[in-house]
Amino acid sequence: MEQHTTTTPPEPPVDVPEPDPDPGYEFHPPAREESWFGKAPDVTMQLPVAHPKARSRVAETMQLRVLRATSSGYTLRPVPDSGWSAAASSRRMWVSRLVLLGLLLVQTALSLRLQNTAFEDEALYLFAGHAELGHLLHGTKLYGGFDSYFSGAPVLYPVLAAAVDSVFGLAGARALSLACMLGCTSLLYAMTRRLFNERAGLCAAGVFAIAQSTAFMGNFATYDALALFLLALAAWIVVRTAGSHPLLTLLAAPVAALAVAVKYASALYVPTLVLLGVLTAYQRRGLPRALARGVLLAVATAALLVAGLYASGYLSAIQSTTTARAVGTTPASQILRDCARWGGLAVAVACLGTVSYVRSGRMSEMPGWRGALPGARWRAALGLVLVGTALLAPAYQLHLHTEVSLHKHIGYGLFFAAPLAGVGVTRLMGPHFKYPQWAIFLGVLLLSNGMSQAYANYHAWPDSSSLVSALRPYIDAHGRYLADTYEVPVYELGRDTSYRQWNSTYTIDYTTRSGHHLTGAAGFRAAVAERHFTLIVLDRGNPTGQSTTVRDGLVHSTGYRLIGTVPYATAWGTSRFELWAPQGGGS
Amino acid sequence: MTTPRRSRRPRRLLLALVGCLLAATVGACAPPAPQVSPAAAAQEDKQTQTQSTEPPYDIRPLLNPDHKYLGVAVNGSPRATAPLTAFTEKAGKRPNLREYYAKWGDPFQSEVNRAVWDHGQLPFLVWEPFSRTAAQIAAGQDDTYIREFADAVRDYNRPLALSFGHEMNGGWYPWGSRKTKAADFARAWRHIHDLFTDEGAADVIWVWSPNVINPVPDVRLEPYYPGDAYVDWIGVVGYYTLSGPTSFRTLFGPTLTEIRRFSRKPFIVAETGVEAGERKPGEIADLFAGVRARDDVLGLIWFNLKKEADWRIDSGPLSLAAFRKAAADDSFGFDVRKP
Repeated sequence: MEQHTTTTPPEPPVDVPEPDPDPGYEFHPPAREESWFGKAPDVTMQLPVAHPKARSRVAETMQLRVLRATSSGYTLRPVPDSGWSAAASSRRMWVSRLVLLGLLLVQTALSLRLQNTAFEDEALYLFAGHAELGHLLHGTKLYGGFDSYFSGAPVLYPVLAAAVDSVFGLAGARALSLACMLGCTSLLYAMTRRLFNERAGLCAAGVFAIAQSTAFMGNFATYDALALFLLALAAWIVVRTAGSHPLLTLLAAPVAALAVAVKYASALYVPTLVLLGVLTAYQRRGLPRALARGVLLAVATAALLVAGLYASGYLSAIQSTTTARAVGTTPASQILRDCARWGGLAVAVACLGTVSYVRSGRMSEMPGWRGALPGARWRAALGLVLVGTALLAPAYQLHLHTEVSLHKHIGYGLFFAAPLAGVGVTRLMGPHFKYPQWAIFLGVLLLSNGMSQAYANYHAWPDSSSLVSALRPYIDAHGRYLADTYEVPVYELGRDTSYRQWNSTYTIDYTTRSGHHLTGAAGFRAAVAERHFTLIVLDRGNPTGQSTTVRDGLVHSTGYRLIGTVPYATAWGTSRFELWAPQGGGS
Repeated sequence: MTTPRRSRRPRRLLLALVGCLLAATVGACAPPAPQVSPAAAAQEDKQTQTQSTEPPYDIRPLLNPDHKYLGVAVNGSPRATAPLTAFTEKAGKRPNLREYYAKWGDPFQSEVNRAVWDHGQLPFLVWEPFSRTAAQIAAGQDDTYIREFADAVRDYNRPLALSFGHEMNGGWYPWGSRKTKAADFARAWRHIHDLFTDEGAADVIWVWSPNVINPVPDVRLEPYYPGDAYVDWIGVVGYYTLSGPTSFRTLFGPTLTEIRRFSRKPFIVAETGVEAGERKPGEIADLFAGVRARDDVLGLIWFNLKKEADWRIDSGPLSLAAFRKAAADDSFGFDVRKP
């Protein structure tokens, strides 16, 4: 009964295609289109027709109706079984692209509506990028030791972002991220279209475009957007080249390696890329060739990474920021709750899509459309790989008991789960958009959640305008400054001060006037006692490192006094910065 | 018969999945866990709304200015302006510091103090703990009041000189040496200071204000002193009376000498006056000369009231003339808003 329309090689690896569970009619494959209109009427009468079963209501609506010859001998031409075609067409392509363009515009609006001053990570990467640029272009000595604690190569994204920042400022650096995230959505559509169809691709793009992580990363100047874009590009290359020569798939290897270099944690998703390559190739090329392709891709990527690691010497940074990251104290229940809030609904729809896709691989309501239907096991494997990837970052953060950047990392997994979320939405809508209310319901829910959550996460840090204004009179090129989240004033006051003048509350190497070398809490206490710093900025709402130790020393110090406070409000409450300066001084 | 069974199972599965979807939906719609309690958030929001968006005021230039303060305590302070205007006309120079008294339990009057500051005077609040003992304050019984007071001072965002429990070494006030242990007084002071710092009230000049030791020679000052980390000025209270010392050196000298044994903080004559009499013009001149002669004395605050004695500058024409002449010295008076 089944007829393959594709040019399948002699050893088709796909599972035995399933018959439609309840087609409701017996189907005879139609002849080619040219025969429908190019033959004489009497020949047309012999065209295959559907013979409806009397018991099926569905069959009545789907049968081909062929009018019998009238008594006058006139015979109508047979009517095709549908007014449209499931096959690819330029019209379908352009309509889909127009809808995608609309989604991209919505995504742009959702990202740009978020407004806040630079977050500490953005500020850090940007001023580090400027320092690296100075080093690369003018040989300026580097002091930050950025390569020892950055979670991505400091010579990649920071340099690129700083170059953009030099011309367009923070808005420009964030626009770079927006471009990356728009690229992710476009690649997601292209990948999903190839895996399933246009409708699923558009739904996937829609689910991804309105997610909080997408809106957030689209206006956030850190590694994440670029790394996710490179992962998306690698995934698309893998899917796009599944039917091509294996060497073409290798194009994904440098892209994936670059993604890992940009942000080390991207390595978590490289196995997904390899498995995706194996699965897509398996459908076209068979198991041995698919496995060979996967091994090739994995080895090439690993070789590039090892070579890069060997050349750069970033191993310690990778360990401290990624593989052996400090364990936090956030309860698992809170992490799970936030995972559910930020990505639970989209992943739930993806799970629904997976189950539905495993049950039936059919992706078109065209009567009799079969396409190159893959088998159920393959479909299950694809769903497991893609949806399972969405759980990787939450699982790792659960392991580490930390929520740092979880709201962003959710977005990485969401990219991979989105294709099946798109399938889920199409299945909920049903054939012929029979239940559009489901898509509307989910769309409204995902959009409202995405907007509110992105807004809350984007306002989790204070607007630093007031702080920077308050600090400006005290900052010059000779002072020594200590601050919680010192990155923001360093970036914002970059023209008046250098990052070398600033010390965070995490670490200190202090040599006392008597010549003792002190670190940690003792170093901070000694530095306060000896009035080493010309200004100290503490964040009462977010004390970091040895901030509490420093403050205890200040409160009971005769050398410093509190000279002012700067209040701020975030999405989570209000607090204030404290400015401490030596007694007796003054602006 | 098999067809219905086949179709029912997927429907159940679909229903179960849709149920899970709805559950996830409810979870997704749940509001984020609040990071602060609603009450605390409301309180913080209120504070943020009232807190000025002006940059913080750095009071350090006022702590040790180049010129001397010329302060005054008049009737009706700090609200009334007429007595001050009258004093200014008589003295020939506008004072740049205005002292007033507030009872423990009174709220801080931001608007009134702002008006004083805008009028060119540093408000000097003398806080009198009549209703609580120092031990009770140190034990935290009035923390809520202190924090509210500190919040108001912080939001006022202008300088304020603050003296808690002045003349603590004398026996005439409830917080004085007869009824209060020195250690309790120092603990209460530090406690108040810590709460102010905790609330971010940075623009307070802390004035530890003992009486001159002459009438209470047996009371040592150091046990009452909270420490240099808690004090900006040492405001000594002393009057030229008809029966007491007649010179700056004999009136204030012993006290300043004793205090210098345990503190390097600058002095200010926090409350002074000359009792009406024949010596008054000469003692006014001596007072100003004494303040002017010492770099570590920041100025003086004239008690211009008729209370127990007539301390006013115009108690006699010669006294008024002497005051006008002394105050005219360029050393006294400066614009506190541009120190």
